[in-house]
Parts: sequence; structure tokens; C-alpha cells
Amino acid sequence: MALTRLVHHVRQVGLGSQTSLADGVLTVSVDQARLLLADPALAEVRLSWVSPGQSARIVKILDAVEPRTKGPGGAGIFPGFVSPARPAGSGKTHVLRGSAVVTAGFLPRAQEGLVDLSGPAAALSPLGATHNLVVEFVPAPGAGWEAVDAALRRGSLRLAARLAETALEVEPDEVEELPSASPSVRHGALPRVGVVTNLQTQGLFKDVFVYGRSFGSALPTLLDPGELDDGTVVSGQFGHPALKNPTFMHQNHPVVAELRRRHGQDLDFAGVVIAPEPVDQAAKELISALAARLCAAAGFDAAVVTKEGGGNADADIALKMDALADLGIEAVGLYAEMAGADGTGPPVVVAPERATAMVSTGNYDHRLALPEMDRAYGGEELTLLRAPATAAVEVPTAVVYCALSPLGWGHLTARPA
Amino acid sequence: MARIVHYINQFFAGVGGEDSAGAGPALVDGAAGPGRRLAELLAPEHQVVATVWCGDDVAAGRVTDVVELARSVRPDLVVAGPAFTSGRYGLACARVAAAVRQTGVPVLACMHEDNPGLDEAGPAPVVTSGEVARRMGPSLDRLANAVRKLLAGEPLTTEDGRIGRLARQTVTADASAARRAVDLALARLGGDAAATEIPLPRFDRVTPAPPLADTSTAMVALVTEGGLVPDDNPDNLESARATRWLRYPLEGRAALAPGEYRSIHGGFSTAWANEDPHRILPLDAGRELEAEGAVGRLFGEYFVTSGNGTSIANARRFGIEWAADLRRSGARAAILTAT
Repeated sequence: MALTRLVHHVRQVGLGSQTSLADGVLTVSVDQARLLLADPALAEVRLSWVSPGQSARIVKILDAVEPRTKGPGGAGIFPGFVSPARPAGSGKTHVLRGSAVVTAGFLPRAQEGLVDLSGPAAALSPLGATHNLVVEFVPAPGAGWEAVDAALRRGSLRLAARLAETALEVEPDEVEELPSASPSVRHGALPRVGVVTNLQTQGLFKDVFVYGRSFGSALPTLLDPGELDDGTVVSGQFGHPALKNPTFMHQNHPVVAELRRRHGQDLDFAGVVIAPEPVDQAAKELISALAARLCAAAGFDAAVVTKEGGGNADADIALKMDALADLGIEAVGLYAEMAGADGTGPPVVVAPERATAMVSTGNYDHRLALPEMDRAYGGEELTLLRAPATAAVEVPTAVVYCALSPLGWGHLTARPA
Repeated sequence: MARIVHYINQFFAGVGGEDSAGAGPALVDGAAGPGRRLAELLAPEHQVVATVWCGDDVAAGRVTDVVELARSVRPDLVVAGPAFTSGRYGLACARVAAAVRQTGVPVLACMHEDNPGLDEAGPAPVVTSGEVARRMGPSLDRLANAVRKLLAGEPLTTEDGRIGRLARQTVTADASAARRAVDLALARLGGDAAATEIPLPRFDRVTPAPPLADTSTAMVALVTEGGLVPDDNPDNLESARATRWLRYPLEGRAALAPGEYRSIHGGFSTAWANEDPHRILPLDAGRELEAEGAVGRLFGEYFVTSGNGTSIANARRFGIEWAADLRRSGARAAILTAT
């Protein structure tokens, strides 16, 4: 099984009467986009492009999706949402790199996250460098929040697939042939390294979907990395802005990208295991043990283990690392530190006991000074600070979308001063 | 000759015990209490020019005043403690050290490694003391050595008894965290069993207090990290990364009605909590036990914060403040509901 990514670089964006891609310019018809987002739970949607370098801030960010498709109507992309739930991850996938569909606005339990498109926070989020088609919304009178959430998810995925359809007849800028991980084949003497990715599954508004189903009650699953490319894992998880893994990040899983890059050089990419993060201790222990067994069955010598969220999620990752160590598999955990604003607190909430290799994605509590912006999207207010959304503010890194990416996207770390 | 100001609590200043825990702060000339021995050890090179003392119950909140008093006599160094494992005293010494450091005046605190206030010293230097005041002699010997070294401009190391955490600074690495994670996996496979970016933290093991011999006469408090506040959250308790805790009255209240109270906790679905606030704060059960005579009476207020992404240093501080407050009020037990 192999996947080819046909990559189109989006260099400029606009709104127009037709949805099209030409010479790197992506134009979106608002009327067409509205049709794709239409749902009884939504009274109104507003669409705006927000681009890198602008004096703009997006607040109350929910999910972000990279426009991709495998053919007209999706043809297998986002299985379980846009396409029927059939095994994905092979064939050809068109990618509009440099763009994202971003939903933003109030949902209950959603912790407020933000992205600045210029200034010091822009480099801390993947959305600081993409052209973002921001979808703001007004819920229909009487619509339940659950229905609003589902409508936004379906609509933004349909819209992302539709945008990528503009590329079907366009010559790609790059063609990327991606190796498949091979659970049964050992390539010589290279060490077999894979990734275990925990998905935060704590009920409504804190859930992740795999092939369109809530992953909350699932057991660990072995995926081919190409399945992530094709949008098999879709986020509906709105807690901990800096520590969440939006759909965009699963599509571009940074550890998977690194393992692919080094496959056949200094390692052999052994596979991807996804696991839920259940809320009770007994289930955490069971899931951890089963995930480790899957890794052993797939011949992992080592695993990079990733989490989503804080606190609870530290218990999940620590248990998995120890479960892997118990089966003789080296485990490396990607942790954000929670060391207090001055960096002197204990860095992790729950530490592993037997597997002790940890990589830091930065300190959650580290303060950032953000300048005033000309415009804001997603809301009028930074509710967290009771400040106007455009205001100059001081915030903990914890509120900057994906700034401490547990999937390892960022470059932040923490070291003894 | 360096001018030293010594910070101690009301007990060691000879002002009084718990009855004087609300007094101060005040400045007295020269050394007092354990400061006399410290002065002897440091003489003739250095001199303890003044002592600032403050009562245990109020010191943690009067840090600015303490620092102002200390600075009024132009010290070259402020020394705080030894505080042994005493929570309130240790917290005060740690906060004084952190605040003095911010003014640019050199500072050194002294307490046992298990003192729950230790983390509040932040990056200010702390050297270890014995566990209890009986160890005053050797603790002062170590403190005096550390003072001499610090005043000589030398850094304090673990060999000098330095404890506490060195600040971890957020920096930008050349490689992404994903790349560093794969590098680390290969390093571990290659036999480097110690490689890591985050050293294992040391966690407290809390020994629960022994059960009360007789609950029927005891005042019992209800405290929670479940974010339960009056419905409009009048004091803006944070739903995550709380830096504060709050107190609300229970006196004369038989129950917590839905709609009057709600949980603003950001770490779980609050629907069931809001349907019946007793699921977070069991006032209903408490009142029943009170009526049956199973407990003496309930404390007239409840304490609340949000335990969601709260730094351990803040959580520890809340615990110290709650314990001191409850002890002062005469409560003999507390039921801490956690979510």
C-alpha cells in the first residue's frame, strides 16, 4: 500500500464568483461555500480569508482542516464524514498546502485558543503561516450545541474537500511518494521505530473521530500512516488550545513525517498506533497495555508516544510509556511542561516510572506579550481576559493554538536557566 | 563588612506562639532569636544589623511590607529562616526570598527540602535546614557557610545544601520536537539510558492525618477543587490554570440549589454538577450528619478553586493557605472533594 501526495502550494487567496485554483491563487465562492455549510443547526455563517503577515487575530478557534481530496466528491477523503467509511490511505491525494479551513466561535467546553497572523505568536502556530478560510457562525434558534458542533465538523470537512477539488486538473507543484509502514517486514538491521498517538476522548466537545466514529469507547488501533493523510482521524476536541491536535495536525502528523523522512536511512518506520484517552484509571491501564501489545506485534523496537491535553493526558502517556518499557520497547514521550510562569515548578503532572525519556515541547505557563491587532475573527472578546479580541494582551503559551503541539510540530522546549 | 537583615517568624523572635500569629511585621535592631547565633558565626566579617519578624498567619500576605522594612536599613543580604518543615513559616520565607530577589538585593532562604513552601522561592537560592527546630545548631552552621560563600560571590551548589528548583526557561530549539523525539528514541536504542530533555520530577508523598478520635464534637469544613461558585461567578474564578482560591458562606444554608451555584471548572462536563451542586460540594450530606450529631458542626464557609491545569506550586500554596485558615478557625477536619 502506498500513497502519493500531489501538493499544490497556495500562494494567494481571494473570494469570487467561482471556486477555483490557478497559478497558486485559490478563489472561493462564498455562495458555494455556504451551500456546503448549510445545516438546520446553523442560522448563519460568515467566511473570511485571514493570511500570514496581516495584523489579525483569530480567537475561539475550534478545528482546522487542510483542504485535500482524492477525486470528485472526495473519492475516499475524510472517510465516515465526506466519503463512505472504507479503508483509506492509498492512491493519490491532492493537497492544498499553505491553506486551512478554520472554524471559530463559541462552543460549550471549548477552551479559548488564539492565533496571531503577525507578531511573536505567529511562528508558534501552524496557522500563523497558512491562508485561513475562517468560518464564523450563528447557531439556529433552539439548536442544541451538539448539533451545532456536528454541523460545523461536517461542513468544514465538505468545504475542505471541495476546495481541494479545484486542484484535480492542475499540475501539482510537488509529487511526494510516501512509504507505507510495514508491520510484517523488517528492513535489514535498522531499528524499527513507530509512533503511538493518544487521542483525547472525554465526551462531547472533547472527542476525536476515526472513520467517522467517536473513538471514546474504542480499543487501540494500528493504522497505516497514509490513513492519517486521508483524514481518517478528525478532531472534535476543543480543550487545551496549545495541547490539542486539530484535524490539520493529524493530516500532517509531524512524528509520522519525521519517521517517513528517515525511513530506510537510520530507522525503519514500524507503524502508527492510535489509542483513546479514557477518563478512568482502570480503562487507562487497559488501553495502555493493549497499545503496547499492538506495538510489540508490529515489531516496534522503539515508539514515540504523543498525548493530547494536560493533566489527565499525562497519566495516559506515562502509563503507555511504562507499558511499552515492560514489553522491552523503548518509549519516548512528548510532554509539554507545566512548570509555572517562572519555570520553577515540577514540569510534569504524572511522570512515567520505568520509561524515562521525555522531550519537552515548552512550558505551558510561559507568558507571552502579544501586540494589538487591527482585526479579529471568531468573536469580539477574549473572554478569558475580558478584553477586546484585538487588544494587546499577556497570555500563557497555553492559549496559543498548537504552540506546545504534543505531536511535536513546534520548536519550543525548556531548559535549565 | 556586609550588612545582613534576618527574617524570622513571631515564635523565633520571642514575641509569642499561636496567640501572636497575627502580629507584625516589625523591625528590631540587631540580631534576635536564632539570629544571635548566626551573627556569632558570621562575625567579625559580617554583621546582622536588623531583624524583621512577622506572625505566621499574616506573613505570606504581608510580603511587600516585610521587604520594605528589610530594605529600609540598606542590607547587602537578606537571610530568611531556617523554617525547617513549618508550612506557614516556610511559605513566608520563600515568598520573602522571591520578592527580595526581585528588588535586586541578594537573598538566601533556609528550610528543609520537604517544606511545602519551598517552590514559592522560585529562582531565589535556598539552602536546606534540618527537619525540626531541634536541628537549629547544624542548620545555622550550614546557613552561615552559605552566607559567606554567597557574599564572596561564589555560586551555591548542592554541596552547600542548595535545594529548590532551578528555573526552566522556554527557548526555541533548532529541530522540531518531533525530530528530537525520534533522535532521542535512537539514542536510547543506541544504549544511552539516561538521555532525556526533562528530568523526572520529585513528587510529595502526603501522609494523611490520623482519624479524629471523636467527630461528634469536631467542626468539619467542606473544600473543593471542583470550581463550584455562585451562579454568576462574581469573583471570576478561572476555569483553568487557577491562580486563586475563593471562600463563600454556608452559614444558615441547608442546601445548594441548582441555578444558584454552578461549576465553572474547565476540565470536565459540568452538566451533572450543575443539575445538583451537591455532587461537587456535599452540603446536603454534611447537614444530615450535623443533624444526626455525627459531626459537631460544619464550618460556616467553603473554600473553592479549579483544579485544572493548575501548577503544582499554586496548588501547594492553596493547600498551605487552606490548612492555616482552617486551623485558625478551629476546624478539626476537612472533606476535600476532587473531580
